[in-house]
Amino acid sequence: MQEILKVCDLKKQFRLSYRQQKLQRTNDRMLTAVDGLSFTANRGEIFGLLGPNGAGKTTTLRMLATLIAPDSGDAYIDGCSVVKQPDKVRSKIGFLTGELRLEDFFTPNYLFDFFSELYGVPSDVRDGRKNALFSRFGIDKFAEVKLANLSTGMKQKVSLVISVVNDPEFIIFDEPTNGLDVLTAKTVTDFLLELKAQGKTIILSTHIFSLVEKICDRVGIIINGRLVALDTVAEITKEKGLEDVFFDIYARVAGGEA
Amino acid sequence: MSGIIAIIKKELARFFFDRRMLVTTLIMPGLLIYVVYTLMGTLISDIAGGDARYSAAVKNMPEVLTAYFSGSPFDISDASESDDAYKTRIVEGSLDIFVLFPEDFEDAVASAGEPGYEAPNVEIYYSSSSDDSAAAFAAFSAVLDLYEKAISNVFNVNHGDGYDLGTPQSSAAYILSAIVPMIMLVLLFSGCMAVAPESIAGEKERGTLATMLVTPVKRSHIAIGKIVSLSCIALLSGICSFIGLILSLPNLMKGVFNGIDLSMFGLGHYMMMLGVMLSTVLLLIAAISCVSAMAKSVKEATTYVGPLSVVVVVVGLLSSLLGRGVSQWLCLIPVYNSAITMTGIMSLSVTPLGFILTIVSNVVYAGLLVFLLTRMFKSEKIMFDK
Ligand SMILES: Nc1ncnc2c1ncn2[C@@H]1O[C@H](COP(=O)(O)OP(=O)(O)O)[C@@H](O)[C@H]1O
Ligand SMILES: [Mg+2]
Repeated sequence: MQEILKVCDLKKQFRLSYRQQKLQRTNDRMLTAVDGLSFTANRGEIFGLLGPNGAGKTTTLRMLATLIAPDSGDAYIDGCSVVKQPDKVRSKIGFLTGELRLEDFFTPNYLFDFFSELYGVPSDVRDGRKNALFSRFGIDKFAEVKLANLSTGMKQKVSLVISVVNDPEFIIFDEPTNGLDVLTAKTVTDFLLELKAQGKTIILSTHIFSLVEKICDRVGIIINGRLVALDTVAEITKEKGLEDVFFDIYARVAGGEA
Repeated sequence: MSGIIAIIKKELARFFFDRRMLVTTLIMPGLLIYVVYTLMGTLISDIAGGDARYSAAVKNMPEVLTAYFSGSPFDISDASESDDAYKTRIVEGSLDIFVLFPEDFEDAVASAGEPGYEAPNVEIYYSSSSDDSAAAFAAFSAVLDLYEKAISNVFNVNHGDGYDLGTPQSSAAYILSAIVPMIMLVLLFSGCMAVAPESIAGEKERGTLATMLVTPVKRSHIAIGKIVSLSCIALLSGICSFIGLILSLPNLMKGVFNGIDLSMFGLGHYMMMLGVMLSTVLLLIAAISCVSAMAKSVKEATTYVGPLSVVVVVVGLLSSLLGRGVSQWLCLIPVYNSAITMTGIMSLSVTPLGFILTIVSNVVYAGLLVFLLTRMFKSEKIMFDK
């Protein structure tokens, strides 16, 4: 088994504004979102980061995608440091979250070409990829329709396709099925399994137990920015369901803190 | 490099395939200026243009005065009816003024200056409640004043023609240099405002900028691509406004100076204008982009840029008041330099040094701001703070 992601003692704190302090009912100036996270992911697996809201999943994935820099620690994707070689990391990964949007004004065809150009994909490679992905998701019929005029589900599919224009080996998905209707959610999970079958590595975050049980090979449970469990899904759910395991751990961790 | 080009192409496509944007930022401003100024010019020439004629009934019109009234806007009739009949007509509005000269007016005036001289009184009946009547009264008195000055001649000022050394062209240049820079600054600024906050703060607000930041394209390339393309659009908008302005000026001025002659401006002047406009637009776009990057929404960006727009208007006004004959080193002050250089070009008094200082300093400032914008794109605090 070959290691493709190595996360070493990642830390991230946010300075809270006065308004945020009141909102979160705290007097602390600093909030520790990710507190010394370390784990690895292997090539060709789907790795799940499971945790409740505010656990630090998005922050972790953003650090992996080099959108924000860790305060300390580092992570290596395919040997490239997210701290020292962010440009290189960005060219190797695909990143998709609900916060990343596409411009409504353009057509799927235009956007695919535009992002391919930003990734430096040669045009002949791009056209082959585009044809395959567009027909796979049924976008081909809408290739020249502005995004503004597409259904929400079709827009999600376009976002999904655009996030892999560079045919990345390593794909990061933040809450991949959040806010999607059941059909689109199924499209997404099917696609993740397809990508895995192609030998790609996927790291996703979620708070949905069933998603982890269904598609993840390994899972890291994260609470308050700390990793509290890490194993294969099969091993973790050997005795009881993931949900029960999670609440056992949660009671222990949160109870210990109180 | 391919990243810059891709972003420039995208920004231009965003603009040129959007019919609404195209109309509101390119076509409307120029067209509006043309229409509004042409209308204003027509109105002014209607008001000042003196097509109006006044009716005057005059009793005992002295022979010497007829020459003074030739070419004046008066239809003069000899008054033969009773005085009261004319006064009634003035009140009714069918007559503007009724003038009564003393019978011996000419003889009396001839003895002016002799001992015991009593100045004769000319009576002009009019109605201050009628605009035409009041204007006729003023005009008639003015002619009489002229006559009085002529007969009591003590000394002359500029008697005869040939004292105004200004050619129609140089006075046109003077007027243009007072108007054009101020209007152009405001128009350039509003052109920039139409595109920059939307493209920077708008993309940030909608989360589409973040999508670009996930790709390996360099942040500096995003900044350069954005500023170059937005500047092109704003410059185009500026050129359209400039054409509208220049075409409308003869119409605007026709009532005041019998039109305005633009033939003294050659290709060189227009190219220099273009150069100043380009460097100004680069600077303004870069500045507005930086401010917009700070904002969380287009609305917030527009609010932040508010004070900047006040500065631009005030500087534009100042330059047309104080812009003449200032030190060329003032061409290092952004915005002000554009205003005084445009003033210089329009008044045909621009110096090469001032022109070059303006262009170069604006480009340098814009470059520094591009650097700043790149830093802002790199800052997670600015780009990803909630
Ligand atoms: N930019 C930020 N400024 C301040 N606090 C933040 C910021 N981003 C995230 N946080 C805080 O960090 C914690 C972890 O957030 P996040 O990583 O989004 O959690 P998750 O994705 O697991 O729900 C939360 O308490 C959140 O409020
Ligand atoms: Mg999250």
